[in-house]
Amino acid sequence: MFELTLQAIYSGVLTGGYYALVALGLALVFGTMKIINLAHGELVLLSAYIAYTAESQFGLNPIAAIPFALVLVGIVAVAVYLLVGRIKRDRELNSLILTFGVGIILTNFVLLVWAADIHSTTTTWFQEAVVVGDVLFSSRSEILFFLVGVALVFATWWWLSRTWYGRAIRAVSSNRDAAMLMGVNPRQTEILSFVVASVLATVAGIAIYTGQVIQPSLGHALTIKAFIITVLAGMGSIPGVLLGAVLIGVIEALTVTYWSSALQEFTGMVLFLVVLLVRPQGLFGFGARRG
Amino acid sequence: MLRLDNISVIFGGLTALSGVNLNVGNGEFIGLVGPNGAGKTTLFNVISGLVKPTGGSARFDTTDLLKRPIHARARIGIARTFQIPQPLHELTVRQNLVVAQKFGTGRSDARRIDEILDFLRLTEKADRDAVSDLALTEHKALEVGKALATDPKLLLLDEVLAGLETTGKRQFTETLKHLHEEKGLAIIIIEHDIETISNLCQRAVVLNFGKIIADETPERIFKDPEVMRSYTGEQGA
Amino acid sequence: MRTSAVFPGLILIVLYAGVPVAVGHVDYVMSLIIAALTIGGVAVAWALLGNLGGMVSFGHAAFFGVGAYVSALLTLDAGWPVFPSMLVGGVGAAIASVVTMPALRLRGPYFALAILAFAHIFRILATELESITRGAGGLLSIPALPTIAGFDLSTKIGGYYVILTIVLLAMAGYAWLRQSTMGLALLAMHDTEDATRIVGVPSTRLKALMLVVSAFITGVVGAFNAHQINFLDPDYAFSGTWTVLPIVAAIFGGYRTISGPLVGALVIYLVDQLVFKEFLPHGHEIILGALLVAMIVLSPTGLVPLVMGMVRRGRHAAA
Repeated sequence: MFELTLQAIYSGVLTGGYYALVALGLALVFGTMKIINLAHGELVLLSAYIAYTAESQFGLNPIAAIPFALVLVGIVAVAVYLLVGRIKRDRELNSLILTFGVGIILTNFVLLVWAADIHSTTTTWFQEAVVVGDVLFSSRSEILFFLVGVALVFATWWWLSRTWYGRAIRAVSSNRDAAMLMGVNPRQTEILSFVVASVLATVAGIAIYTGQVIQPSLGHALTIKAFIITVLAGMGSIPGVLLGAVLIGVIEALTVTYWSSALQEFTGMVLFLVVLLVRPQGLFGFGARRG
Repeated sequence: MLRLDNISVIFGGLTALSGVNLNVGNGEFIGLVGPNGAGKTTLFNVISGLVKPTGGSARFDTTDLLKRPIHARARIGIARTFQIPQPLHELTVRQNLVVAQKFGTGRSDARRIDEILDFLRLTEKADRDAVSDLALTEHKALEVGKALATDPKLLLLDEVLAGLETTGKRQFTETLKHLHEEKGLAIIIIEHDIETISNLCQRAVVLNFGKIIADETPERIFKDPEVMRSYTGEQGA
Repeated sequence: MRTSAVFPGLILIVLYAGVPVAVGHVDYVMSLIIAALTIGGVAVAWALLGNLGGMVSFGHAAFFGVGAYVSALLTLDAGWPVFPSMLVGGVGAAIASVVTMPALRLRGPYFALAILAFAHIFRILATELESITRGAGGLLSIPALPTIAGFDLSTKIGGYYVILTIVLLAMAGYAWLRQSTMGLALLAMHDTEDATRIVGVPSTRLKALMLVVSAFITGVVGAFNAHQINFLDPDYAFSGTWTVLPIVAAIFGGYRTISGPLVGALVIYLVDQLVFKEFLPHGHEIILGALLVAMIVLSPTGLVPLVMGMVRRGRHAAA
């Protein structure tokens, strides 16, 4: 019983690493541009399918697909940014609907190009089991991308708070005009955050491909998960993304172990709603969410 | 009619109001004066419900005022205008009044609306499309119109004469005088102009740094050195 | 706007007499039209919430599904007659909306996604509460629409009349609300909530009322759908399609107008099924996505108003 719980928590934490990777890009764009990119999950999906093509068509290791995926996903991300930039009124809501539409386009694009079959990596290295202390089981992919997730969360946080570009992004997000007066080009920094988000999405896509099965409908599901985690974390909190992701991962794993796998999504949703209504600034964040 | 007991409002580290005691009787015309930032608008916000006081109590007739939500206060007879007019934008002037009347009193009385429009000289522009076409005087008039449409017992006017030139001011002052005399409304007006206050009000209340420092007739207030000092910026209460 | 009764009267004649006469015997076409009208009903309800309530919802499927299930179960398990069940289905959806009411405090995008979360939750509940809803297998042989005064409403033409009437009634209710004093207050609320509250408008209560009305309409439409196709399962009843298509339809047709959502639904759905699906049997939704993007970038108030605007300008130029 205790071992079961421990395993569930362990798996949940590792899954949290993945989830953090997926959510990070969305949280970044949201925190800096106040835009919810509902097509983010589809960007991750795109990257995953590129990894699949690299492996199945060209026999490459999925990790080697990263350069190609970076370029393609990056182009799409910039295209989304340019489209969003053309919205003149009600930016918050209209960008929501617009990115929602982009998400539909991308999901169906994947469906058209790759069909609805599910796929997952055939490189066995990723799926081999790793046992810790004789009791905790996971796959290599889970551990690898958990570490990658933690590293990237830390890197993103460091970049935002310590480097010039990172601080420029935060300046633009809190006061566009003042930032301009200080020599920051808002458009540049905004494109930059989209590009960084697409890099994060690309890595997340590879992680997903090596860790679980992919199918076209996954895009939308990932977007929702990423948004839930972003809300849990709270606006402006990058480390919160990791903690929120781990929280969701653990709760899901415990639900699956002790309740039923069908309810996995359920508890996540309920937690999301509870946080939204009770503590709108997120568990770790600052900034209001109320109308 | 209105009774405020020991009202205090603290925003973060800032004390906007402290220990405010105020009694307003039926039909009184009170001038609320004080330097900028003294807390006058905050006091109005407390009475109208936009701000919850941090301490103290308030009664309006027989009701515990602080328990009532903002929209209920119009129903019990409290109306206010905003310093910067806030018309209901997508509606015409008449529609502004119709909404105020319907929700502020629960009744529909087209004749009364016509009366108010006429009284405030807004009839001509009443049914035009854009409220934004109004001149400042008309905006101020509309603010008062909305308040009147709710059939109030207590009217809170927040610097309603500010920004008007002399003729407009004179006209408006006359209008306010009529209002008070004909309707027997209780009115509290935030004003800086000594002449206007002396003209209209029997009673003046002085607020400084969130505290009431004087509550007398206008003549006595404006001779009070302490009050004058608070206006010229020396040490206040 | 012209208030002559001739134009609307003509339209009614076309809808109630013309269409059945013209294509009533072609089952396939009638099925499409009925489906389009169903989408249209939800689109009208969605637009009502957006325009009057000022809130955009990304999860109307929640109300659609609840209405469908409540009505289906009432007729299947409790033996109720169909039409009263449909009404209760609407009431059930309205009650479900009360559960979502805390979300009204949230700002626009958060409300939209909170409702989406509710849609997912209701779907999962419908799947898990097997003892009530028969779970993932769904409900079969749901009673069809009855025969009234010798007219069998379970036929295609019958179903057409029922959904047409439901949608037109919903539009009439929407129009009435919009021009009422409450409608004026709601309009003003979007801009200056404080100023409206000061004059006595209970803004939160009014918004809640719009949510309830929108949910009720959607629930009745969902209930209709259940008795029309006689089958229901959680994935279908709460499918994202019932959220996405009405949004595309409403925005396309012009969601600030009363008839826009219905027109949009008819055009979008029929074109999607008859044209797009031919070229891209899997993935024809991609065009809908592209349409949504194009509309938001070019004309957030809808393509139909955009076109009408251009036509009007063209006429002025020619005159």
